[in-house]
This record gives sequence, structure tokens and C-alpha cells, in this order.
Amino acid sequence: MRWFIDNMIGYWVLLLAISLSAAGLIYVFWLKEHMF
Amino acid sequence: MFDFAIAGIQSPVFLLVLTGLTVGIVGGFIGVGGGYMVTPALIVFGFPGYMASGIDVTHIAGKSVVATIRHRQLGNIDWTLGLAMVGGTMMGVEWGVRLLNMTKKAGVSGIALLSATVVIMLSLFIYTQIETRKAHKQIEEREKSGAHLGREHKATRLPEYFQKIPLFPIVRCHVARIVISMWVIVVVGICTGLLAGFFGVGGGFIRVPALVYIIGATTHIAVGTDLLEIVVSGGYGALRQSMSGNVDMMAVLFMISGAMIGAQFGALATSFVRGPAIRYILSYSLILATVGAFMRLGYLMTGGQYEILSFAAVVFTLGEMIFLCLFIMSLVIFAARHKAGKPVPNWIPSLVVKD
Repeated sequence: MRWFIDNMIGYWVLLLAISLSAAGLIYVFWLKEHMF
Repeated sequence: MFDFAIAGIQSPVFLLVLTGLTVGIVGGFIGVGGGYMVTPALIVFGFPGYMASGIDVTHIAGKSVVATIRHRQLGNIDWTLGLAMVGGTMMGVEWGVRLLNMTKKAGVSGIALLSATVVIMLSLFIYTQIETRKAHKQIEEREKSGAHLGREHKATRLPEYFQKIPLFPIVRCHVARIVISMWVIVVVGICTGLLAGFFGVGGGFIRVPALVYIIGATTHIAVGTDLLEIVVSGGYGALRQSMSGNVDMMAVLFMISGAMIGAQFGALATSFVRGPAIRYILSYSLILATVGAFMRLGYLMTGGQYEILSFAAVVFTLGEMIFLCLFIMSLVIFAARHKAGKPVPNWIPSLVVKD
């Protein structure tokens, strides 16, 4: 876990994983029914 | 859900406000209108290509005024450089809008915009990554050796070449500390204006790298001067797009409401970081927007057969916005901790300003 904070690439990957997961959850639980 | 009658679609208001907020933060921070993210994002969210372009540039025109005022207060604008570029920018925007209207008539505006987005942004991402990593490494080496570190550091010699072009008249830009032929500035204005008019963006995503790597301005001056340029090119672009019937004002209003708040925070955040940090964010935002656009392009090119591509495009586009907000906010928090003498990850000191 420490690697994800101390390394810039690791931090980038960690934030990206959090962001994509949040986006995926928003899409699946809310957006899907309201789009297209 | 809101019925956007002019655009001819229904879409959640939340998506437009979030898009506005994100491009406000990112745009204020990296000095771009953030339009290069908005056009593909709006296409991904279901707006027609020409409408996405029109809505994008109209919201940028309003938002960039707020960000420009903030950057002027921070002393980040070189008026000589900005005003010398305006003529070229206007000419480029006009050509760009005409090009977009041609693709609209041919019925391929969405595919044309997404294809151009993917090619240009991927090239820019690769170049900024190579240069910024080199600059970051050099800063770390200088810091280890105890040498003085300024707010800016670049690892390219390209500006020196362009500054040596002896074409009259030569312009002296006092704030940016550059002496350069006005023709170089005008040509940069035409090229960036052309892209701005076509994509319906302010053109900052290409103008900031151009001001840094071709003209030789520091990143902070490039950010401020670019925003001044966006007020002009965005205003003109918005007028032309409205005349062409490419703007849904309700969508613009929802986006501006988010963007106004974001732009203030983004501009303030620039005072906490060094040039390479801003260029890293620009670079990351380019590649993430490219991935979303690429997936939507795949969805359109396959005739909408693969629903998974549409899902991935939406998730990447939304995820990119959340990622950029988190990254900028965490950089500001790390900078404040570093200033207070608290421990921070070892890659942070070379990216943030301590004094």
C-alpha cells in the first residue's frame, strides 16, 4: 500500500482505480437508467 | 432528466454540472478552457457532434472571463504576447468553424471530431510526457545537489530555435521575458485558432504546449496568456456557432454554473505548484480524454453493435473527471503539508512550491 503513495506512478494508478470504480458505480446504479 | 429541445436529446442535469465543475477546476489549473474534454464528453453523453462543439465553445467563452480575471490578479498574463496572437487566432477560428460546418453537412461531424481528438491528443500526450519526465528528473537531481530551484523548469531547446528566427517585426514580451518574431506568434495563433474553431474549444490544450515549447514562455505565463486568448477566440467561436444553430443554451447554462466555481479553485491551485506539475496534469487529462473518445469512436464506427464500448466510454469519461479533480486537490493538500514542514511522499517536493 505504501508503494501507491510513495511512487508517483503508484499514486496515479491508485487514484485512477478509485475514480474509475466511482464512475462505474455511478453508471451502473444511477446513470444507466437515465441515459440513451 | 432534462429535455434539451434544441439538441434533441434528454440527459441528466447532474452530468452537465459535473462536466462544468471538472473542466472549471482543470481549466483554471492548467490554463485551458477544458474544451478538449467537453466535446468528446458531450458526444459520449449522447449529444450530436456539432451540438457538442457549439455548447462547448459557448460555455468556455463565459467561463474563461472569470479565470482570466483571476490570472491577471496573479500576474500570469503577458498582454503583448496575447494581443500579438489575437489576429492569427481569429482567422484560425473562422477557418475551423467553416471546416466543422462542412463535416456537419456531410453527416460525419461526430466521427470527424472524435478521430481528430484521438490523433492530436495522443501525439500531445506522448510529447508532454517525454518532456515533463525529463524536466522532473532534472529538478530532482538539482534538488539533491542543493542547487536553487525556480518555479519553472523545461527540458527542451525548441524555443531557442524559434526565438532566433530573424523575421521583422521582432516583439519584446516583458512579462514572459521573451524576444521573438511576431510572425511566429501569429502562426501559432492561426494553427491553434483553427483547432479551436473546429473542435469548439478555446484551443488551450494545444496553445499552452505551443506557448511553452515553441514560443518559450513559462508554464504559468502560458496558462494566463492562453486564457486571455480564449476570451477572444471563445467569444468569436460562440458567436459563429450560435449563428450556425449549433448551441443549446440550457446545456450551456448548466455547465457554466459548475464551471464558475471550479475555475476559481483551479486558478488558485496553480500558485501551489511548479510548471512540470501543471504539465503532468495536462498530459494525464489528454490521455484519459483520448481513451474515452477512442471507445466512443469504436462504438460509432461499429454501428452501435457493441454496447460495452459505449459503457466503457462513459465510465472512462466520468472517471477521468473524478481523477483530475482528486489529483489537483491532493496536490494542493500535499503542497500545504510540505509548506508546513509535514511529511509528504518523496515525489512531491520537486513538483510543489515551498516558499
